[in-house]
Amino acid sequence: MKVKGVRLVTVMAGVLSLTGCGAMRSYHQEMQTTLTVAQQGRIDEALANVEKNNTGDDKDLLYFLEKGELLRLKGDLPQSVDSWLKADEKIRTWEEESRLTLNKAGEAVGSVLVNDKIRRYDGEDYEKVMLSTMLTLNHMQMGNTSGARTEIKKTHEREALIASLNEKEYDKVEEDAKKNKVTSTFKNLKGYPVETLDDPEVVALKNGYQSAFSHYLAGYVYESLGEKSLAAPGYRKAIELRPNIPVLEQGLKELDSRMNGKSRKGGGTDVLFVVESGFIPGRTSMTIPLPVFAGGQFIFTQIAFPVIRPSNSYLPANLSVNGKPVQLATISNLDAMARRALRDEMPGIIVRSTVRAVAKGFAQKELNDKLGVVGGLAGIAATALTEQADERSWRTLPAYISVARTTLKKGDYTVTVPTPNGPTNVTISVPDSARYLIVPLRLVGQQVVKS
Amino acid sequence: MTRIVSLSRVAAPALVLALLAGCTSTNSPLIGGNNVSYGDSKGVELVTNEFGSTDLQKLAESMARSLTQVPSIRGKRMTLSEVQNKTSEYIDTAEITKSIRVQLMKSGSVRFVADVSGMNTQTQELMRQNQSGMYDKSKTKKIGKMVGADYRLEGSISSIVKKSSSLKDVYYKLSLELIDIETGEIAWADEQEIRKTSRR
Repeated sequence: MKVKGVRLVTVMAGVLSLTGCGAMRSYHQEMQTTLTVAQQGRIDEALANVEKNNTGDDKDLLYFLEKGELLRLKGDLPQSVDSWLKADEKIRTWEEESRLTLNKAGEAVGSVLVNDKIRRYDGEDYEKVMLSTMLTLNHMQMGNTSGARTEIKKTHEREALIASLNEKEYDKVEEDAKKNKVTSTFKNLKGYPVETLDDPEVVALKNGYQSAFSHYLAGYVYESLGEKSLAAPGYRKAIELRPNIPVLEQGLKELDSRMNGKSRKGGGTDVLFVVESGFIPGRTSMTIPLPVFAGGQFIFTQIAFPVIRPSNSYLPANLSVNGKPVQLATISNLDAMARRALRDEMPGIIVRSTVRAVAKGFAQKELNDKLGVVGGLAGIAATALTEQADERSWRTLPAYISVARTTLKKGDYTVTVPTPNGPTNVTISVPDSARYLIVPLRLVGQQVVKS
Repeated sequence: MTRIVSLSRVAAPALVLALLAGCTSTNSPLIGGNNVSYGDSKGVELVTNEFGSTDLQKLAESMARSLTQVPSIRGKRMTLSEVQNKTSEYIDTAEITKSIRVQLMKSGSVRFVADVSGMNTQTQELMRQNQSGMYDKSKTKKIGKMVGADYRLEGSISSIVKKSSSLKDVYYKLSLELIDIETGEIAWADEQEIRKTSRR
């Protein structure tokens, strides 16, 4: 009996030591309060909450991402840039490592044994692309065009790296699946909400990281800098990613006439409204029993999988500028992109989870055999405690990004933005000197924030 | 004993080599670690099959060579117009034409005047000298003395990209033409192609 007790303790201790604090962290719960207060416009409280949840010295990528966005909502652009550049440093480290190994860096052995949460968080691919896109917006707001140009260049270089890594990752998962004799499709997971990943909006996307907004913004920034040969591919890529959207097509079609300037002499400022709405849906954990063949019999082990349910955020259809309606076009659906990213990640998650399920199945069988039902149950409790899907993702990102482009002459304008609680007015002023002007508007809860 | 002999045999040439190497070194201090290195800027780059440094150099060099062989442009003034980027790749085509310009300037056969992108700073500078009232009138550069170009260089770059499960094939074509500004005649035209194939 004593021997058995010691064994149980060792198993429990082993499991617990592997989990560390990372595995116990529920990012979804952690961000719930932050998002709720942010939606009520209490940004300082939201920031304090982020600080409260990240007390250690070694801050992770998510801390800087969330903080940067909250500071942007607060209107503190220099601090926001500062925080995002720190996040960017972390992503650059990841890039360097990935380039060297030609593999997605940061894969830990522990994820097979415990779960994906103990892997270093390197950011979802779309988050990396969005980070430099958001930094571009901030730099443009602050009048730092060369900073904006650097960030926009980084965006497309990063995209190219991600594309080449994803190809390799895909091959590797296929190989692993074959080696471990696992079918890697999420459609076989009993009880998994397959419709969230099979949504036509999700399937229609080319991939989970290329955003039409990022490319359109690249086109706009290059155009404002007078670099037509770089502006054209930006607009072109945006059209490839989101075909049949008039504002995108006009971007390319009228590029020549806009840049030759004849139609614009004294014609006012080219204004780009960027409307971000909602919050991107988070990942939650769902446990699904996986059948495992261990020691001559089938055992069901509980394995957790991440689920993203659509945010169904409010999406404004148009704006009005001094009472004149301006059509908005939603060009980036981050809600769907997040789910597309998960859809593409699922084969890898399933392969890792199945390997883990087998290991756990064997451990559980051993516990059942040696300790009887009671001891076995204690073991199950310990493994269930550690079994939680990775819920980490950049939660303060908007769910949708829409744009509208119009020409306005110098002066002050009242922009009316529809919100769930009725229309809200924002005043903008168009200076005389600017030929190009970006106006970012963010719908947070019932309010409209102009950064 | 034999071992000592053989060792010294090896050691002697090694010592000589080391001494020789010591003599030739430039003695520039080396700062930092070993994981950064300088490469040949003309080295062939085959990192990915997107448009890269070798493509830029190759296109610019062959176009400049082809242009210098046109007898009618000797001693003439040229200006750079735009090279349209018709690909979906972010290629800074201004850099291609700038490289061509550098090589033509070095050959000494043509002269270049301010192009559209440089016009803004050029006029600003003239205005500053003449209208700000800050300059000695006798030493300012006069307005109305700029010289016009005889020819303009323009063109476009396009690409065809094909992918299969195992191959990616990229084809680039740069076409340039030289247009006589007064008559509108095309004095010269050429195209250069690049094909790159990579296995996935």
